[in-house]
Amino acid sequence: MALQARRFANALVVDVSGRLDQDNCDAFRADLMVHVEQSAHDGGSVVLDLSGLEYVSSAGLRCFMLAYRQAKAQHGRILVGALQPMVAEIFEISHFNLVFQVFPTVREALAAASSDAAASYDKAAVA
Amino acid sequence: MAVVAIDEKAIAQYGQWPWPRTRVAELVSLIADAKPAAMALDILFAEPDRYSPAAIEKVISLPPELAASLRRLDSSDAVLGRALKRVPTALAVAGLDQDDPQFAGAPAGPPFRFVGGAESSLRSYKGFLHNTREVDAGAASHGLVSVDFEGGIARRMQYVARVGVHGVAGLAPELVRLAVGGTLALHPAAGGLLELRFGDYRVPVQADGRAHVYFGRSDPSRFIQASDILSGRVDLAPLEGKLVLVGFTGLGLQDLAVTPLGESVPGVENHAQAAEAIVEERFLKRHDFAPRLEAAVLLAFGLALFWLAPRANALRSVSALAAGVVLIAGAAWLAFRQAGLLFDPVSPALGGMLVFGMMQVGSLAEAQRQRQQLREQAARMAGELDAAKRIQMGLLPDPREVFSDEARVSVAALLVPARTVGGDFYDCFMLDANRLFFVVADVSGKGLPASLFMASAKSVLKSAALTVEGSLGGVLARAQDEIQRENPESLFVTALAGILDLETGELEIANAGHEPVWIHPPGGKPVRFDAAGGPPLCVMDVFPYPTTRHALLPGEWILAISDGATEAMNTAREFFGAERLATSLGWIGEDAGAVAIVERVREDVKRFSGEAEPADDLTLFAIRWRGGARDPRQSNAVGSDAI
Repeated sequence: MALQARRFANALVVDVSGRLDQDNCDAFRADLMVHVEQSAHDGGSVVLDLSGLEYVSSAGLRCFMLAYRQAKAQHGRILVGALQPMVAEIFEISHFNLVFQVFPTVREALAAASSDAAASYDKAAVA
Repeated sequence: MAVVAIDEKAIAQYGQWPWPRTRVAELVSLIADAKPAAMALDILFAEPDRYSPAAIEKVISLPPELAASLRRLDSSDAVLGRALKRVPTALAVAGLDQDDPQFAGAPAGPPFRFVGGAESSLRSYKGFLHNTREVDAGAASHGLVSVDFEGGIARRMQYVARVGVHGVAGLAPELVRLAVGGTLALHPAAGGLLELRFGDYRVPVQADGRAHVYFGRSDPSRFIQASDILSGRVDLAPLEGKLVLVGFTGLGLQDLAVTPLGESVPGVENHAQAAEAIVEERFLKRHDFAPRLEAAVLLAFGLALFWLAPRANALRSVSALAAGVVLIAGAAWLAFRQAGLLFDPVSPALGGMLVFGMMQVGSLAEAQRQRQQLREQAARMAGELDAAKRIQMGLLPDPREVFSDEARVSVAALLVPARTVGGDFYDCFMLDANRLFFVVADVSGKGLPASLFMASAKSVLKSAALTVEGSLGGVLARAQDEIQRENPESLFVTALAGILDLETGELEIANAGHEPVWIHPPGGKPVRFDAAGGPPLCVMDVFPYPTTRHALLPGEWILAISDGATEAMNTAREFFGAERLATSLGWIGEDAGAVAIVERVREDVKRFSGEAEPADDLTLFAIRWRGGARDPRQSNAVGSDAI
């Protein structure tokens, strides 16, 4: 699961897709941390675009938790957006929607990160 | 080239061997009449003839005058000797490894010269078996009749050897030499070989005097039956100027040899073939470096296979082996066909196959050893996991015991562990006379760490439940604090905790990221009780877990589950899901006890999963509240039931 990142102003949008479980958790975290560190350094945020994420196991949730802790330790910020219904339900049941700020769309997540990021996103969408 | 065969027919017609020498002399005379170039007899006349006139008196008593006149007659040996003189004839001698005083010295023959120490490793006989003096008087020369049998196959014949200090040629080269004339000399030649020279002939032989005979197919047309000659039934004119070999082919005379071409041919034919090969100058040479070359080929082939086998797959290795064998065999065949050079392709080929076989056996053994190791590892792991499972299961209370004398409630619990240890657990106990505490939890992760974490989480939750005053949410918050303190693996645990007041039916629920509880009011439908909650314990450092309250009606039941139920998968990788669970719960009868509820769900999940291996633990915890003690409806109720 190679993470693709797109920059919008001081926010990074990272695409998470497929399934997140025990097997790919470590690779996911390692990849994600690169982006989190970078954005924390810039005083920005990371928005996880979960539109391609089909399923999260409990090991996958732990993975999100560790990312959350690591980001917190580095004063970074992770927001998530565009959850598929299955993943949204998992987030609701596990109340991980209280751990991360969850938004229906990436645009809304970016808007919560900074107005510049949202503006940059809109500009990219028009282009 | 002709072979005069003394065969079964001759024996049948002229009596058993040995014939009277006069009859042999008659045969020789008839052949001599045809004026062949030379003749050789592959027959030894080592003893005086029993049928000589002088010998008769030794067998039967005769009148003295008759015996005397018989003695005056020529012996039949002398008759044969005279007949032999009519044509240049080589007689057979057989080399003996012991000195025979009867035949001292060397058999008479032409001068024989050794050149350049050629005789140094020549086969050397101490003595020889010879014909009787009278027969031998007719011989122009002598030839050795030793065939070297190798594994029952005549490959090499002694073309030249030493008897005492003298050189003697084999019967075949000697026959040829008689025809072409010249003296014999043995010279060293290239490749550690020797050369037997006479006239213009250069016959290559090995250092020990043996030669590989270039055998051809046995040719019946070169045989003339002795009986036909004796009875005059055959025209001998074609024999003029030819080489003639006389010998036995009678089966009863046991002189058959198997040639490398696989035929059983009479021994005499070996000599005939050898003589023919010499005349046609078809020679086979096996140089002294041949064994070294074969060893080098074997080594190279073996090393190549040794290098290749671990690097290529089985099919390629076998192909390489086959290609190598074909190449070696082809090269040896070419050398034989084109240059008459003999190389042994069998040893390198067999050696290569042996190397290959051993490597295969070796890698097989290695693979087996690895499998064994994996099995042992798996067994050890399984042992540890079994231990973990036993720890996990041993920690779980049995509601039957815990609430054995509790009439107000029916409690049942079930935990079906997945094959790998999951982190589910549940607990239930009385906080005081009326309040029943329960918790169903799931530790993230699997295996031993999860199992140990689960044990500690369970005890922390219990102590928090027993000590924290106030809300149930506060219990979870305290538990989180405690668990967090020793959580090196950064595991988290989802937990659904509840406190049921058995008197009033008041239910408190606090949820830390766990599957919601299901509630079934009497006469109603089962519903998911989506109480407010928080993230799993240990995800966030601090979280104020909310507490939700719900008043149960007598007969109302609740079911707490783990995600092993909703996320149970079938072989099509579909989840059991909340909807199927709701349907399953809807079928449960109004009066079903806690055990029946749990069993029903378990059965439905099992049926849904089918052959699919459960990925996660399945935990079901059901409570049916019958009503408080003051409630008349539960006065006849029996004790709690559980599995």
